[in-house]
Parts: sequence; structure tokens; C-alpha cells
Amino acid sequence: MNSSKIKEQGGKAIFAGTAGICILAVIAIFVFIILQSIPALSKIGFTDFLFGTKWNPDANDIYANDLVGKYGILNMIVGTVFSTIGALAVGGTLGYFTAVYLAFFCKGKLKKIINTMVNLLAGIPSVIYGFFAIKAVMKLFNWMSPTGNATGLFMTSLILGIMILPTVTSLTKTSLEAVPKSYYEGALALGATHEHAVFKTMVPAAKSGIKAALILGIGRALGETMAVVMVAGNSPQIPDGLFESFRTLTANIVLEMSYAGEVQMGALFSTGAVLLVFVAVINILMGFVKTGGQKTKSKKSLPLWDKITSKINFGKIGKIACFVSAVFAGIFLVSLVVYILIMGLPHITGQLLFGEFEYGGEISILPSIVATLMTILLSIVIAIPLGIATAIFLNEYTKKGSRFISIIRSAVDILSGVPSIVYGLFGAITFVVLLGGSYSILAGSLTISIMLLPTVIRSTEESLKSVPDSFREGSLALGAGKLRTIFKVVLPSAMPGIIAAVILSIGRVVSESAPFMFTMGASIKPMPDGYMSSGTTLAVALYKLSSENLHTNEAYATACILIVIVLALNLLAEWVGKKLEKKLNGETNGIRTKHKRKAS
Amino acid sequence: MEYGQNISVKQADLYYGDFHALKNINIEIPAKKITAFIGPSGCGKSTLLKCFNRMNDLVEGCKITGEFKIGEVDIYKTNDVNALRKNVGMVFQKPNPFPMSVYDNIAYGPRTFGIKKRAQLDEIVERSLKQAAMWDELKDRLNKSALGLSGGQQQRLCIARALSISPKIILMDEPTSALDPISTGKIEELCGELKEQATIVIVTHNMQQATRISDKTGFFLLGDLVEFGDTDQIFTNPKNEKTENYITGRFG
Ligand SMILES: Nc1ncnc2c1ncn2[C@@H]1O[C@H](COP(=O)(O)OP(=O)(O)OP(=O)(O)O)[C@@H](O)[C@H]1O
Ligand SMILES: [Mg+2]
Repeated sequence: MNSSKIKEQGGKAIFAGTAGICILAVIAIFVFIILQSIPALSKIGFTDFLFGTKWNPDANDIYANDLVGKYGILNMIVGTVFSTIGALAVGGTLGYFTAVYLAFFCKGKLKKIINTMVNLLAGIPSVIYGFFAIKAVMKLFNWMSPTGNATGLFMTSLILGIMILPTVTSLTKTSLEAVPKSYYEGALALGATHEHAVFKTMVPAAKSGIKAALILGIGRALGETMAVVMVAGNSPQIPDGLFESFRTLTANIVLEMSYAGEVQMGALFSTGAVLLVFVAVINILMGFVKTGGQKTKSKKSLPLWDKITSKINFGKIGKIACFVSAVFAGIFLVSLVVYILIMGLPHITGQLLFGEFEYGGEISILPSIVATLMTILLSIVIAIPLGIATAIFLNEYTKKGSRFISIIRSAVDILSGVPSIVYGLFGAITFVVLLGGSYSILAGSLTISIMLLPTVIRSTEESLKSVPDSFREGSLALGAGKLRTIFKVVLPSAMPGIIAAVILSIGRVVSESAPFMFTMGASIKPMPDGYMSSGTTLAVALYKLSSENLHTNEAYATACILIVIVLALNLLAEWVGKKLEKKLNGETNGIRTKHKRKAS
Repeated sequence: MEYGQNISVKQADLYYGDFHALKNINIEIPAKKITAFIGPSGCGKSTLLKCFNRMNDLVEGCKITGEFKIGEVDIYKTNDVNALRKNVGMVFQKPNPFPMSVYDNIAYGPRTFGIKKRAQLDEIVERSLKQAAMWDELKDRLNKSALGLSGGQQQRLCIARALSISPKIILMDEPTSALDPISTGKIEELCGELKEQATIVIVTHNMQQATRISDKTGFFLLGDLVEFGDTDQIFTNPKNEKTENYITGRFG
């Protein structure tokens, strides 16, 4: 009797402890990055750093001497703001209309296909977006650029826009679908057309959800790194044209980390700190939208907006915009995949896949494949149990209005909003330093593990929520304790979501590159001989191959392998989710109909 | 101290937050009889039922005072809720079989209390299903998902599941309200057989059901136990005017 009490209490303590790790991680990220930036900020001067328009670092600058280099990041801040606005213009609009299309204007198979496509867009690695942009999309626009080269603000906005489209779409869609159907029916009863009901009744009712979707999209655009590095041009100047080269905050870190001197390094961490400030602002805005959306139920009308909208015939234009957006997203995905397959497949050779890697000689990505697998294995082993335990704590031990719980929730939100490059910075000063100062697969795996937590927690929590309370009651009423109820009844029922989380996490490890570059290494190497070896994952290898511009064929082939893996994983996650869902509820139907037949 | 088969409640009050859901309840529920709780919706029948196996512990802000004894055990003084629930089984309004095989559903309870041997589990599964009059129906589908059964079968499976740990008391909260008349009939018949070994407390909205199966009936109204007595007496010769109004259909 006593021992079972101890077990229950111990279990709860462990769940709470793992949940605490999330809070700890957030604190650690902020504290470490800020601590690292304080010396640089005080040396450079806070205002000179934030409002200086010259970025011209000198690798020999150390804190003890006078500075030779210039360390002002205003241009990069402006660049980040511009590209984010651009991304929002493209991705916000397309994402919004695609969501409306999915929610109200399409049905059945088509809806499923477009849905899947949007999900796949979310799964495609940032490096692949960048790579596809350089190799293909840019060629379509080069003629528009005065320099004949389409790198710059326009290209970045376009690519970033498509990258944030899935975020905007799925969140907008969710909030549109949450609007009670009776609103729609009410509008129709008053004589509105379908289109009018959608745009005048349903969309306004989902306003706060749509705002949240756009803010989240902004967050993603701000933090995006690899694709931006590949298409922005990267000169640290304020772009004065759509095709001018510019640099974002994230790109600044990636470009200079590997050879930075003392002060320069500090300035890069300070850049990371600025990104964290953006993240904090986004989270605060998000909080306002969430609470404000409920408070201000009364309709605040914008006179100008109403005047404009009343003139437009939403019936036609809206519907067309929706259709065009959805189709555009689909076409982009298909052309990306097809292009990379066509260009890459012929170059997938035995040497590339299974050969020996030689410095300066033949390229083989076998070491990268092995490093990727090692990273997947370790990060899953770490992140999945931690994430599940946290989700269990949040969902099964919640007391309504508990402070601890709401702090954990905000921690999870913040973690999911921290840009991947900032995770990279964090890993570089914590895990890399702890492990002796050199890059290792272990350090990379630990870094990505923290990054996976929010995804695992959310998706597990979703599936825990979908387990009916009657299962829990049934188990408790049989005298089972809470732990037994959780492990024997609740978790097995939540399995589809958990397995989907595992698969998506694997996809994430495969796709990410920014967190690895300064934790496990960025140069392609021979076979790793353990977790303490440095190495590159496939995505980092692709970045390296494409930026060196020497091994174009190998780059195509690597991109091809990468995209096949990622698409397969994403489709698998969807399929497994559905399959298991069916197994849990649906197997049911088979037998039930049989039974009915017998009865009749 | 031993869990018995009779329930004795003295001066019990229950609050959900500020809401006074049960008001000074005193009731003696006899062993190995069927006791029915009737009354209009929201009067506190389920609330009282859930006190007997402390399922109300799960509800935040639920405060309970007074004495609840099962046999000699004062159930709100014991700290082993699991042992209480082993002795006091429960069947819910909506059938809630676990998403597992029929076999595992029934073996769940015994396994909880440490029975692992296959032969012993086999025996319990067979006994429980026989007691629930389902053995012949289900013996060939023990390994099929319990979710594949019809609603009536699911509910009887839940009864078998409750029987698997040989409870001394079985609580049933409107166990037939989601079922068709034939399944309802089967469950009523089953209750008649089960009272040979266990005390049954059943909440029902169906007054015919109460008269058909119960020995004792309690009538509740707005958190009060208005009248409690032999079923015959309650339905033929109620002492309280409110009871009479209710059973004659004048309100509720
Ligand atoms: N968890 C809870 N929190 C707050 N109030 C509750 C809770 N559960 C029940 N109540 C309230 O307590 C009162 C009694 O509820 P109870 O479920 O016991 O009624 P009942 O007699 O079983 O009704 P029904 O016939 O509809 O099942 C109701 O007014 C109900 O709203
Ligand atoms: Mg009830």
C-alpha cells in the first residue's frame, strides 16, 4: 500500500521534473546567450551596436585592446524586418487564401491532396528551399534584376513566403474550422451567397486565430536561416531595391561564426540576443492576440476597410484568389520535387552512396548518412521520452489555473519560437564547451534534442487530449493507480500521435542544418568513429556542397536523397497517424457490421 | 478492517466549489440487495454514487463532509483508494471498454492487483464472462478488440470487467440509458443474478426499471434524499408528497 503511494508520487515527480527541463532550457538559452553578449556589447557600446550602420569586423579584435573593426548591426536588423515583411506579404496572403480554400471551397480528394501538399511544404528542409531557389527559381527572375542576378530582397521574400505558407495555412484553417457552423447557416438564411457567407461571416469570426497564424508566420520568417543565407546575397547593407543584396541577423551568425575572433564572436552572440528579443516580442504579441481576441467581441469596424470590401465582389475575386493560392502552393511543391529528382537521380552513384571519402578527391556522402542516423538515434532517445513525460504532466496532472503549468506552457511556446541558429549558438557555448571544446555528433544531438521538445510535447499532448476521459475513469474505477492508468490505457490509446511525433522528429533532424553547423561541424569528413567525432548531417553536407560550388552534381544527388527521405517520412507520419487511428476506432466498424448482419 | 457489503452514510454534505450538491444525506444501503436512486436530472444521484468509490476525488473543488462507511471501513479516512475501488466496482452510463481485446479488458483489473499467471487469468476471464452471461457469445472472440462489440455487449463486458476483481458492491450509473430494450432486458436480468453475491446500487431515470429490479429505492430532489424505503412502498404508498408527485409524473 505504501509502496504504491511512493511509486505514484515518484512518477509524478519525474513527470514534473521533465516538464521543468523545458523551463530550464528556456532560461539557459536566454541566460547563456545574453551572458556571452554582455562583454561585446559593453566593449562596442550598446547604441553603436544596435544603431551602427557599419559591420566590418576584425578577427584580431580582442576585449583587451582597442577595436579596429566596426560592429553595427542596424542594416541587418532592417534587412530582417524587410525580408520578414516581404515574406508576410507573400506567405501571409497565399497562406490565408489557401486556408480559406481548404476550409470552404474544396472537398473530398482534392482537399486531401492539397492538405498533404501543404504539410509536405512544411517538411522540406530549409537548405533545399535555398538550393532550389539558387538553381531554378532565380533563373526565372534574373532578367528583372539590373545586375542580372536575382539574389536579394525579392527572392528572399518569395522563398521565405513559401516557407511560412504552411504555418499560416494550417493555423488559419484550424481557426476557420472552429467557427460554429451555425454562423454560416445563419448567413445563408439571410440570403447571403456561399462566398459572401465565407468572407463576411466566417472569416471575421476567426479573426483572432488568423492574426495568431500571421504572427507565428512572422516568427518563422524572422528565424529562418539557411535558405536566406543562400539567396539574400549577404552584403551587410540596407537594400535599396528589390534585387539588392542584403543580410539578415540569422545569416550574419552563420556566415561568420566559424572564423570569428573574440569580439566578433561576442558580437555574433549579441546578434543572437537581438533575435531572442524579437522572439520575446512575438510571444508577447501572441499572448495579446490570444487574450484580446476573446475580450473584444464587439465589432470594431475599420471604416476604410469596410468601404473597400463592400465595393468588391467577394464572390468572384475571393474565390479566385483562394483557388490561385492553393494551386500556386501545389505547383511550387511539385516543381521543386520534380526538378530536384530530375537533376539529382542521374548523379546518385555507388561512389556517392557507398564509396570511401577522400579529402580533395572523390566525394562520398556515406559518412553524412551515418552521422545523420547517429544523430537521429540519439536525439530521439533523448527527446521523445522527455517530451512524452512533459506532455503527460501537462495533460494528466493539470490542476486548472496552476501557475506551474502555465509557465511550462509558455516555456514550450518560447522554445518552439527560438530560431534554429540560436539553438546552434546555444549548443556551441554549452554542449561543445562541456564536451571539451570540439565539435561532436554528441553535441549536435543534444542541441537538436532540445529543439525537438516542443514538437514532441505538442503532438503528444494533442493525442493525450483525444483519449476520452471515460477510459481513465474506467481504469481508476477498477482500482488502478494513476501511473498504471497512464501507461496501460492512456498512452496506448495516444499511440498514433506519439508515433507521428517520432516520425516528424526524425524528419526535423534530417531537415535542420543551422543547429548543427557549430555543434557537430560543417565540413564534410570521413566516416565518424563514435559520438565524439565531428561530422555533417546530410542537410549540412548539401549546404556545404552547394556553397563550395565545386561538386554541383553531388549536390543535386544529395538534395535528391534528402528530399526523398523527408517526403517519405512526412507521408509516413500522415499514413501511420491515419492507420493507427483507424485501428483504434475503426476495426470496430468491421466487426460491428458483421455483428449487425448476424442479428438481422 | 474489512470492507463489508452494506453502505452507511451519515450526515453527508458535498460541495462542488460553492454549489451545495448533496445536503445532509443519511442512508443505509443493505447488503446483497439492489438499491435504486431515482430523481430528476441534476438532483445529485450520480454525485452520491461516486462518493461510494471516491471517484469524486477527481473533481477539482469537490468538498465532502460526513461519514461514509462500507462495512467497517470509513472510506474517506482510508488512504488506500485503490483497495476501496477493488471492493466497490463501477459501471458507467456510456459503455467504456478499453481499446484492447476482450480478454485484456477483463484481465486488466486482476493484473492491476498483481495476478500474472495465464492460467489464473484465463479462469477469471471465463468466470467473469459467465457471470455476465456473455461467455458463449464471446469465447471465440476473446482476442478481438472490445470496441468492435455492439453497445449492449460493450456494456455487459464492462459489467464483466467490474466483476473480474470480485467486488463486494457494484455501482451502476444509468447503465442502460444508452441501450436498446433487448440489451436493457439482459442487463436487468443480470442484475437479478448478481445480487446473490454483491450489493448493487443503480441510478436510473426509468421508473419501470426501478420497480422491476430494485429492492430499495431512494428518491432525490435538489440534493436532498427525500424518501428512502422498500421499492414497493415507495411506488405504491409514498410517504412524501414530492415523491408521489414525481412518480406519478407530475414533474421531473
Ligand atoms: N464536476 C462538477 N462540478 C460542478 N458541479 C457539478 C459537477 N458534477 C455535477 N455537478 C452539479 O451537481 C448537481 C448534481 O449532479 P449529478 O450529476 O449528481 O446529478 P444527477 O442526479 O446524476 O443528474 P442526471 O440524472 O442528469 O445524471 C448538478 O446540479 C450538477 O450540475
Ligand atoms: Mg447522473
